[in-house]
Amino acid sequence: MSGAWRAYLPVAVVGLLLAAVPLFAGHSRYLMGLAVGTLVFACYGVGLNVIFGSTGQLFLCLGALAGMAGYGSAILSDRGGWPLILALPVAAAAAAGLGGLFSWIAVRRGLDVIFVGIVTLAFSLGFGNLLLGQRDLTGGETGIVVEAGAGTFLRGEVPPYYLFLLVLVVFLMGYRGIQRSSMGWAFRALRDDPEAAELAGIDVARYRIRAGLIGSAMVGLAGGLYAHVEGFVSPTTYAFQHVDVRTLVVLAFGGIGSLLGPIVGAVAFGVLDELLRGLGQLRTAVYGVALIALFLGFRSGVVPVVSGMARKLHRRRPAPARPARRPAMHRRRRPG
Amino acid sequence: MAVVLDGLVYGLQLGLLAVGLTLLYGLGGVLNLAHGQLAVIAAISTALLLDAGLPAGVAAVIGILGVGMLGLILDRTLMVPVYRRRGGERVLLGLLLTLGAAFTIDGLLVWRYPVQALTLSIGGGGVDVLGVHMRSGSLLASAIAVAAGVALTGFLRFTRTGRAVRSVIQDEAGAQLVGIDTGAMRSLIMALSAMLAGIVAITQSMTVGVTATSGLGFTILALIVTVVGGLGSVSGALLAGVLLGIVNALSSFYIGAYLTSIILLTAAAGTIVLRPTGLLGRAP
Repeated sequence: MSGAWRAYLPVAVVGLLLAAVPLFAGHSRYLMGLAVGTLVFACYGVGLNVIFGSTGQLFLCLGALAGMAGYGSAILSDRGGWPLILALPVAAAAAAGLGGLFSWIAVRRGLDVIFVGIVTLAFSLGFGNLLLGQRDLTGGETGIVVEAGAGTFLRGEVPPYYLFLLVLVVFLMGYRGIQRSSMGWAFRALRDDPEAAELAGIDVARYRIRAGLIGSAMVGLAGGLYAHVEGFVSPTTYAFQHVDVRTLVVLAFGGIGSLLGPIVGAVAFGVLDELLRGLGQLRTAVYGVALIALFLGFRSGVVPVVSGMARKLHRRRPAPARPARRPAMHRRRRPG
Repeated sequence: MAVVLDGLVYGLQLGLLAVGLTLLYGLGGVLNLAHGQLAVIAAISTALLLDAGLPAGVAAVIGILGVGMLGLILDRTLMVPVYRRRGGERVLLGLLLTLGAAFTIDGLLVWRYPVQALTLSIGGGGVDVLGVHMRSGSLLASAIAVAAGVALTGFLRFTRTGRAVRSVIQDEAGAQLVGIDTGAMRSLIMALSAMLAGIVAITQSMTVGVTATSGLGFTILALIVTVVGGLGSVSGALLAGVLLGIVNALSSFYIGAYLTSIILLTAAAGTIVLRPTGLLGRAP
């Protein structure tokens, strides 16, 4: 019982720390806007962590999935007259279904990471063009004003922050829950060596599809909610250049597969983004370089490195040797 | 008929764009997500050289050679750690690093040249082909594309180096055993594929302008064509390029430009679901 309590402790601590942010920044609409944006990217990061970090499926369509939920929820509630409480879950479920479909196709056809990347990237482009093309529904390049949610607490300064914090904490609890369940064991096994996992009786296909579903649902829910908080959506809100590259940097910085990685990454990224505001378009280049540098040199991310150091300091003796993350597989594959 | 011819011209270019991508993938398992950005670099530098007063032909040649050099440099720096890995990890790292390179190039270009666009206008009115009026720009574009395609096929088929490249595609370990320097072949193909991309961007600019933000679009088109043609298949890429070019022209004429990309995407998705090896791809 105490073990279970301890497992969720980091989430609770970070949640409480983040809950204090409005005490310092609550007076400024601008700062709260930045804080909400940071939380949204942390949510995307948790979603990508489930999809990519857990099962190694490189989804390059986070922006499109978030946008599908955002536009979907806005259009259902404004045009279709659906209540927001119904429109948002339906739109997020559609995004989740699509993500699950991508995983399903990839798994059914035995496609490797390269095909998943191609299909999802092509979907990003297709979705962007669909937004531009369906002018009467989406407003084309100018976007649409989202009526649903106006006049409620969603458009306040501080309440949206707490709403997203709640969503993030729920996502993290869910992520921790997955890690601790049998699904988490399956994820770890199939990430380390899919063939060995399959041989050990793990239904790799089913777990990949589940990861695609759950992660896409998280991305969709965060993206959909963001549309109602912002009160405005346009193709740039969910553009590939905007969402996908940032989420990858956030996740790579924080540490792929680590619980608190997305938060650390999103906060660091939020600060960096603000510092670099003066650079304008050059920021994209900086993120590109950061992506390269992170995946080249710092693959495990900040959180695992720091927590490893903390553990060493705490115990004042060498940490127990961890098993190598990628066992014999690659040695075996070498030709000759 | 005019629509089909237009599509043919476009398709030839698409094919060339995809050939570079597919060759590089066949050689080393790396899918270059910065492919379109390389194309845009060639177009922008040509535009800058034109502004500096150089004649169009010279500017284009310098632009193409320049992007070839850049491809070589990328291969010798960014790709080194990628090729040090094997199997799935190489594929994944290749995707992520070239994606990073794509954003770096994109950001730099959009920041430095936000409004720079290359539009080459070729003088002379037009010519009648098969009773259809064609602009001389698109005629020249297709002539260049055909010439480049023929030159590439000849290179791969009849020269010693070209055969070496094909042998690496067939069997990397086997090629190494008979003394082929696979690293050198990869560098060569990287430079070549960058130059091909440059040629495509410059010929494209004879019909529609190429701007700093066109990169991602180029990359995704090349990916779709590569997938439909079969990853690693040169003739498949050329065939799929022509096919999709015609489909593209027909559907943007009859259905609308924005929905066309959905049709192309469906083509790629359909290929992956029904026939993952593509039109002419080898069975894995």
